[in-house]
Amino acid sequence: MNPPASGSRHAAALVLLAVALGYWLVSGYYGKEILAEIAITAILAMSLSLLVGQAGLVSLGHAAFFGIGAYGMAGFAAKLGWPPALAMAAAVAVGAAAALLVGLVAVRLAGVFFIMITLAVGEMVHAWFLKDRAFGGVGGMSGVPRLDLSAVGLDAADPAVFALLAVAAALLVYVLLDRLVLSPFGQTLRAIHQNEERTRALGCPVGRYKLAAFVVAGAVAALAGTLAAQRSAFVSPELMTWTLSGEILIVVIVGGGASLLGVATAAALWVALRDQLSSLTDHWMLAMGILFVVLVLVAGDGIDGALRGLWRRVARQRGR
Amino acid sequence: MIIQLLNGMQLAMLLFLLSVGLSVVFGLMRFVNLAHGTLFMLGAFVGLSTAEATGSFWLALVAGTLASAVVGGLLYLGLLRRLQAESPLKQVLVTFGLIFIGLEAARMIWGDYAARLPGPAMLAGSSEVFGVVYPTYRLFVIAVGLVVAAVLYFGLERTRIGAIVRAGVDDRTMTAALGIDIGRVFFAVFVLGCGLAGLAGVVAGPVLSVYAGMDMGVLILALVVVVIGGPGSLKGAFVGAVLVGMVETFGQVWLPEVAGMLLYGLMAAVLALRPQGLLPAGPRP
Repeated sequence: MNPPASGSRHAAALVLLAVALGYWLVSGYYGKEILAEIAITAILAMSLSLLVGQAGLVSLGHAAFFGIGAYGMAGFAAKLGWPPALAMAAAVAVGAAAALLVGLVAVRLAGVFFIMITLAVGEMVHAWFLKDRAFGGVGGMSGVPRLDLSAVGLDAADPAVFALLAVAAALLVYVLLDRLVLSPFGQTLRAIHQNEERTRALGCPVGRYKLAAFVVAGAVAALAGTLAAQRSAFVSPELMTWTLSGEILIVVIVGGGASLLGVATAAALWVALRDQLSSLTDHWMLAMGILFVVLVLVAGDGIDGALRGLWRRVARQRGR
Repeated sequence: MIIQLLNGMQLAMLLFLLSVGLSVVFGLMRFVNLAHGTLFMLGAFVGLSTAEATGSFWLALVAGTLASAVVGGLLYLGLLRRLQAESPLKQVLVTFGLIFIGLEAARMIWGDYAARLPGPAMLAGSSEVFGVVYPTYRLFVIAVGLVVAAVLYFGLERTRIGAIVRAGVDDRTMTAALGIDIGRVFFAVFVLGCGLAGLAGVVAGPVLSVYAGMDMGVLILALVVVVIGGPGSLKGAFVGAVLVGMVETFGQVWLPEVAGMLLYGLMAAVLALRPQGLLPAGPRP
């Protein structure tokens, strides 16, 4: 489960960034919207990768924190009129606090129980925002402002600028999570994943490490949510449905679980595929469900290793 | 107050029908079937179509229950049986994928609108109980839940099959070593659980509306029931269902804004005190 060597990893990250910037140069208005969506999805998937790939905590309710970040952004910026940058920071803090609250209960449970609790809590949060009039109920909230970049002479209302902003945020999240994964903290998470009892016996406060991972993942998911709210200037309970949690989990599994770059690449493929499928048929979720079942059945536990091996080989070749 | 208690009990009995299968299958097979809610929805839709075609609620009840039992059985034989030896994670993911498929299939077959299943004529109107006037059909829902609970309790505690199932929950390897074909017991329990989910779907039809997506709301409540009741036990499913039904119902009336959070609070409180759930199955001390 060790991450690939830093040389090939950095090279692969640069290749990925170059592809994103190249696409930004040649794409039109719609392409830039898609690019921003890819970057946001990649941030969300990388945050879940910390839980699934490193700590072995499979959450089926991750969309809740994405939605809390988006609603936080809408609430602080659109409703209370805070400056967008401050609203973003506050929304991320709220996401972290919510993750702490949920994590306190969830990390006490192992394996399948953790999955069931996260799914249940995620849906409860969704149900709450559906009902709560203060946040607009089913209709959601509109008028979310974008970051004010006039100090550096840019206008975030321009899709081209916003796409760059989202890509920059994804890069920042990649760098931060990459450092975290390589740190002693990340090593401890992997140790817990591999043998929780032994790690506990070594004197490690396993629960606290899991909780910390859950909070970090929740905060980063909330950051993705603040960007999603700015992208569409609108938030609704749709942002936190169980289907989104499931989609992100597929992305993480397909991307190799522990590999941040693999997960980011899978996010790009996923958004592109969904965009194509949904233009072809209303029932694209059926295709998605079948894909989900087949992927898990055929590749299963091996998909992680197989894709990591493939990714490493590609990265090595590109790095030369 | 009495009306709310009856409403809570009605929801509790629907949840019991749904979660008892989920819980016992999990206790017996260590298998989490997240598609259990989908079978609930299937039962409701098949019941709706049957009622529209024949005009009989009772035929709908039979058809819905059978449809879910048969589809559950086919799923088990074709797909889920193979996952028995796999990691629980894989089981969860595959059955989660089945939820997507079931939802879209329901949309394609029955469309994207909500319908109400007509209740039986003989149960229309209201009756007086405990000094309040209450819809007769809802009393019927409570009765169905109580009767099924009683039958299951008798079956589990007093029959040979029940003894085998209990033994399987407690110690699967030992039970198999006694020469009992545990695979066949699994299959029977699985199909029974799926049938009960379908029954719950039809019974819920006249109270809740029938629509594509109705599976998720009840699945979440059923998962909460299983987690707080303690997986694998009939009594746990019953107690959990009553607790969740009451908290949901009274929460919606008294504190509608935070009803979802109340349930979370209940779950947190139970798990803080008893991480294994209130009445988990397993070797008795």
